[in-house]
Amino acid sequence: MIHENHSGSLRQGLVVFIILAFLTLVEFFIAITNQSLLLLSIVAIIKGGLVMYYYMHVYKLGEEGDKDQHSFDWKMRTNRLGLWLFILSDSFVFGGLLISRFNLLGLTRPDLNQYLGLVVTAVLLISSFFMNRAETQMSNGDQKGFLISTAVTMVLGVGFLAGVVGVEWQNAPFSVGDSAYSAVFFMMTGMHAFHVLTGVIFLGIILNNGRRGLYTSEEHWGVEAATVYWHFIDLVWILFYPALYLIGRLA
Amino acid sequence: MGKNSSRSFGTVLWLFAGGFVGGTLLAVVLHILTTGKFEIGYLLDLPSWLLGALVGVAALLYGMLGYWGVVRGLLWQVGGTVIGSLFVTLVRWLLNLSTGSKYTLFDLNTFGFTEPAWVFGAIAGAVAFLAGVGTFTDWFKWALGEKTSEHHTDELGWRKYFGVSLDHKVIGIQYTFTSLLLLSVGGSFALVFRTELAKSGLQFLSLQLYNTLMSLHGIVMIVSILLGIAGVMNYLVPMLIGAQDMAFPRLNSFSFWVAIPAAVLLLSSLALGGFDTGWTGYPPLSVRAPLGMQMFFAAIWFAGWSSILGALNLITTVLRMRAKGMTAFRMPIFVWASLATSIISLTATQLIGLSFQLVLFQRLFGMPFFDAAKGGNPVLFQHLFWFYSHPAVYVFVLPGLGIISELLPVFVRKPLFGYKWVAMSSLGIALVGFLVWAHHMFTSGMNEYLRVPFMYSTLLVAVPTGVKFFSWVATLWGGKIDREIPTPMLFVLGGIVVFLLGGLTGPPNATVSTDLHLTDTYFIVGHFHDTMFGGYVFPFFAALYYWFPKATGKRLNEKLGKLHFWLMTPSFLIMTLFMMRVGLLGMRRRIGDYDPALSFDPWHLAMTIAAFGIAIAVMIFFINIYQTLRSGEKATGNIWRSRSPEWQVPSPMPVHNYDQQFEVVGEPYDYGLAGSVYVNMHSEG
Repeated sequence: MIHENHSGSLRQGLVVFIILAFLTLVEFFIAITNQSLLLLSIVAIIKGGLVMYYYMHVYKLGEEGDKDQHSFDWKMRTNRLGLWLFILSDSFVFGGLLISRFNLLGLTRPDLNQYLGLVVTAVLLISSFFMNRAETQMSNGDQKGFLISTAVTMVLGVGFLAGVVGVEWQNAPFSVGDSAYSAVFFMMTGMHAFHVLTGVIFLGIILNNGRRGLYTSEEHWGVEAATVYWHFIDLVWILFYPALYLIGRLA
Repeated sequence: MGKNSSRSFGTVLWLFAGGFVGGTLLAVVLHILTTGKFEIGYLLDLPSWLLGALVGVAALLYGMLGYWGVVRGLLWQVGGTVIGSLFVTLVRWLLNLSTGSKYTLFDLNTFGFTEPAWVFGAIAGAVAFLAGVGTFTDWFKWALGEKTSEHHTDELGWRKYFGVSLDHKVIGIQYTFTSLLLLSVGGSFALVFRTELAKSGLQFLSLQLYNTLMSLHGIVMIVSILLGIAGVMNYLVPMLIGAQDMAFPRLNSFSFWVAIPAAVLLLSSLALGGFDTGWTGYPPLSVRAPLGMQMFFAAIWFAGWSSILGALNLITTVLRMRAKGMTAFRMPIFVWASLATSIISLTATQLIGLSFQLVLFQRLFGMPFFDAAKGGNPVLFQHLFWFYSHPAVYVFVLPGLGIISELLPVFVRKPLFGYKWVAMSSLGIALVGFLVWAHHMFTSGMNEYLRVPFMYSTLLVAVPTGVKFFSWVATLWGGKIDREIPTPMLFVLGGIVVFLLGGLTGPPNATVSTDLHLTDTYFIVGHFHDTMFGGYVFPFFAALYYWFPKATGKRLNEKLGKLHFWLMTPSFLIMTLFMMRVGLLGMRRRIGDYDPALSFDPWHLAMTIAAFGIAIAVMIFFINIYQTLRSGEKATGNIWRSRSPEWQVPSPMPVHNYDQQFEVVGEPYDYGLAGSVYVNMHSEG
């Protein structure tokens, strides 16, 4: 079977990354100037849409594949559906957390270090770029490039964790039990950090298996699964970042 | 009974029963030795029962040493819990925090772990169970890049049901067995507090124990129902769509096994102080409740994952594994119903998990989500909780209503009336079900303008449900039923009548003006027992009688089956109709005592007797299963003259379901139409 390259090119990944980075700066600018909830929501939805389409390749769910139930293609498509159903289910947790945040805090936000927030967001966004690069390189048969890009993604993921749990949590101007603000902040970042941690472990698994040459440019479901999961974590942060740092007045 | 097992299954059960009675008597003897006097009340004392249960489980584990998987899992769970609790205690000791418990156990301080230690231990124990039983083994191999076998390698006989199996039929039976076990446990709790309620005043229970039993009855029954529908869906859906197995067999087995440590945790709350919130666990009461509350939260969190992952698997199976020619509108109604149910379980279950997790964290870390003094909001909990817990009732009843639609045409020998409408009505109920949750909160202080839209959305549920009833009645109309109605058909008809009662008593609760009067009364209790029995219990029994020959090659005894039905149905109707009557007259739900001046005593006595009637009926069912397995009438053919594919092959079902070519060429319910064909099956070679 001729392999169709649906994952896009390295160049496409870079263009999408530049647009995402630009939109993140726009968000920050909106937040420090006019605080428009509507504008911030629109930008976050656009960013999320870009990630879902160009990085997570959600459209692949609609493609017709091989009908033979013993083929790799059929099994991969079944696995892909399962993974997306899991993501759908998991997004209800994050949706519930967002609803709780707006129910409890309304249009106010916790007092957090804005620049640190921007830095960790940038780190996660750059990691998403390298993740996309790793998958594209694997599809193109560039094993060595895949290993380097995955390792960079992992390092950035650990960097994000260090930034949130190591720096932000320690320096927050409140402790866990102080108020609804602290509860919402620690719960949202904690739940997200837990997913980042599992994502880093997942990346470690595909790095190890990739090093042993278990993936080919045609058959690398493990890589695709880790990639989609990692971008999902980024997608969640695309919604959490404005909800925690940008939207609303300071309490 | 299997050739390889060291002890027969019956012996193992006798060991458990003997251990339980022996342990209870031992506790009574210990009481007498320590206090020097004898009181009959010791026999009903909770600590006596707990010791009995402990000895009984120990005897059970001893008897099951041959069935290694589940025993190793349980032993690992105990070990994991102890190690996890010790670990947290050690960390707390190093951090200079308190290491002693503020709770007591049977008035002793023996297990004096702190609450964080218990919670962490509980989670570690559940994970240890899963590792011990062996559900992670293949996944670890995959992570390390190793290949695993794609074929079932099950042991023979009974043993395969007590360890990890990847066969959907084995997993379905595992689910169903566990469900019936929990049904008996939850039912026994109800019998205990129902006996207490037979007379006003407190007889033999303390209020705390009453509350715990009442709460546990609710949640144990809910877990039992979730496992029951999962069992029937797991067993049937791959067969009905012509697949060899579920899409993800390992995930399927994981979904079942994660429910076992959840059930153990749930019952362990009885030993850790219980909890007094009812199954809803509303804060702020659940923030103050005893340690058992945390075990309940942790248990439901794990049981929720069982439900979510099972639903994920089922949706993927239905979307990807259908046989040739099985287009969407040739799928059996039960498959449609399972799909609708799974959509709810997959998504909404996360929110009950989240709501319980938030309370759990508020207790552990003091995060004040629901503490109004610190900016929290207790009503937020109710929104998150009911967003799952109302649609959950549709999770419970949709498969049951699907079974009714599935069996009616078989027994009346007529096509199902309005197939497409019935198929769509399941999805309709599921989707409308997402929009009705706040009708549980008419009196809880949410914004008043929300009441009316939620009232109308709730009443809207009656429309797709009405479509189902219309279809059933039209299917029955002019049908031919044997003079001697077979047991499954009896339960189908009983289910329709009881669910009609449940359905008709719903609108008064959905309508704001009447609900303000009815809320938190026994009327609600009567209403939801009607919906649960009509939508789940009756169809579930119908399914068990109907598909039992498929699973075992033996047919359940008709005489005992009819006795089961004719004892259970009137008892049940008396119980719920009386519940509704005292509810309308002002009897509050969830309370252990009531004012004798209300003169409810005779009604409650009648309800208690009726409850025992139901219990005896279910006992008859268990005896029927036991006797049939030992010496039942052989039934290997298509005894119900069904058109469904699973009946076209001999019973019990072959290991890989269909070894022959399988093609769907017609409509599923064309009973009585000459020359119509549903499935073409040709043997290969």
